[in-house]
Amino acid sequence: MTKWGMVFDLNRCIGCNACVVACKTENSLPEDVFFTRTFVTEVGSFPNVRRHYIPTLCNHCEDAPCEKACPSDATHTRDDGIVMVDQEKCIGCNACAVACPYDNRTQLTKAILQKSYFGEGNRQAFEADRDERWQTGTVAKCDFCSARVDRGLQPACVVSCPTEARIFGDRSDPDSKASKLIRRRNGRTPMPEKNTQPSVYYVD
Amino acid sequence: MQKAEMVGDNFRLGCRAQRHWGAAMAAAFFCGELGAGLFLVSMLCGVVPGMILGLLIKGIGKPFFHLTHMGVPGKSWRAILRPDRSWTSRGLIATIVFMGAGILHTINVMTAGAVPLGGLLPWLAGASALIVMTYQGFAMSQSSAVALWNTAMMPISSLLYGLTGGVVLTLPLAGGGLATQLSYLAMGLLLADLMMLLGLLYGAYHGAPGGKLSAELLIRTLYAKWFHGVVLAAGILLPFAALWLGGGAPTSQAVGAVGVLAGFFTFRVLIFKAGLFEPVMHFDI
Repeated sequence: MTKWGMVFDLNRCIGCNACVVACKTENSLPEDVFFTRTFVTEVGSFPNVRRHYIPTLCNHCEDAPCEKACPSDATHTRDDGIVMVDQEKCIGCNACAVACPYDNRTQLTKAILQKSYFGEGNRQAFEADRDERWQTGTVAKCDFCSARVDRGLQPACVVSCPTEARIFGDRSDPDSKASKLIRRRNGRTPMPEKNTQPSVYYVD
Repeated sequence: MQKAEMVGDNFRLGCRAQRHWGAAMAAAFFCGELGAGLFLVSMLCGVVPGMILGLLIKGIGKPFFHLTHMGVPGKSWRAILRPDRSWTSRGLIATIVFMGAGILHTINVMTAGAVPLGGLLPWLAGASALIVMTYQGFAMSQSSAVALWNTAMMPISSLLYGLTGGVVLTLPLAGGGLATQLSYLAMGLLLADLMMLLGLLYGAYHGAPGGKLSAELLIRTLYAKWFHGVVLAAGILLPFAALWLGGGAPTSQAVGAVGVLAGFFTFRVLIFKAGLFEPVMHFDI
């Protein structure tokens, strides 16, 4: 059985945020809503300072706290490990959002969905898709571009990365590029102390 | 490991303020805990007006604020579907049982036993009131995301504040010797509230980096004046002094009730505001 996962190569990420833009375009995301973010932090002190970029998205946890907290059965895990939110079932209570240790969920309020990047009444084509894709008041998050994955494609953030810092693959296949990277470079999950068993790994 | 710092809504690595539950949820939690606490205390003391007031606060105030918060209020009924895993579902079921049993028991008391199977009703209403008072604390403590909430002190705080609110509101409605006993009970509960607050802050401060920052927000920085002024001084010390020195006077009871309710509501709001998500990455990089 396929178990999708993603590996972030921290040595390769240059913080260009092409992934963030690709994600927003693919998912018709409004302003201030991000399914993926590239955090930045500085380590050391002058003159020995290094800047690190840390890409993040929904970790599609095998033991997902958001799924446990969801009272309406909207959050569920597919057989291939992708954690989904059913827009038809979501009641917008935000119980999942406060349960996610990685703060990777956003409620799509009416004000957020109606806002346009280019002023009122000047919606662009990718913004118009928003109305069909998202329901007002529901909670949304990254779904590994499940529609693309189901068609045999890679998530938008992965194909847009110019340095191949994002590697998407089947974690159940020991010969997949993702599995090999995790094994050879001691892949680590974010916040392992939360025991959520993320499907996303970091290598450095 | 990097020292945790609070970051705003930007792409810097650090602790982020919880923004998913706000004032409407705080008001809903306040009404739920206060209403159930008032009903329970009044039921045990046989004070019918208190039982009715408790049911009104719980039955009108809490749903109103919950629906205000909800993104899709028309589908709120779906919140009942997963009692096997979600405290929200369990709480909603307990709420339905509480309102049904509570209303029937109140009618039974007012009509001197006209409702069939009336003997079961106080047990059912009391047990469900306890769940209604505490499930919100369990829902918050279930969240491992926010260190300030991820503690057993959350359901204890819900229970204690619910009971304290219930006692100080029942006090003016009860008379004679009962009022004196309730006065002592209220003072005991206020001391327990103080212990709970100290325990909550101590646990948060000596726990995860986000918890320490949350505790600092409450006692030293952004929310310190509200926490010290309203939650501690007006919400605990003032009512304690009023009840201790007032000698059962209506004015002291009123001061005690207003102070407790102000402190209780402010506590609920501040706990949401001071809740912080941990930095997404803890390991050395």
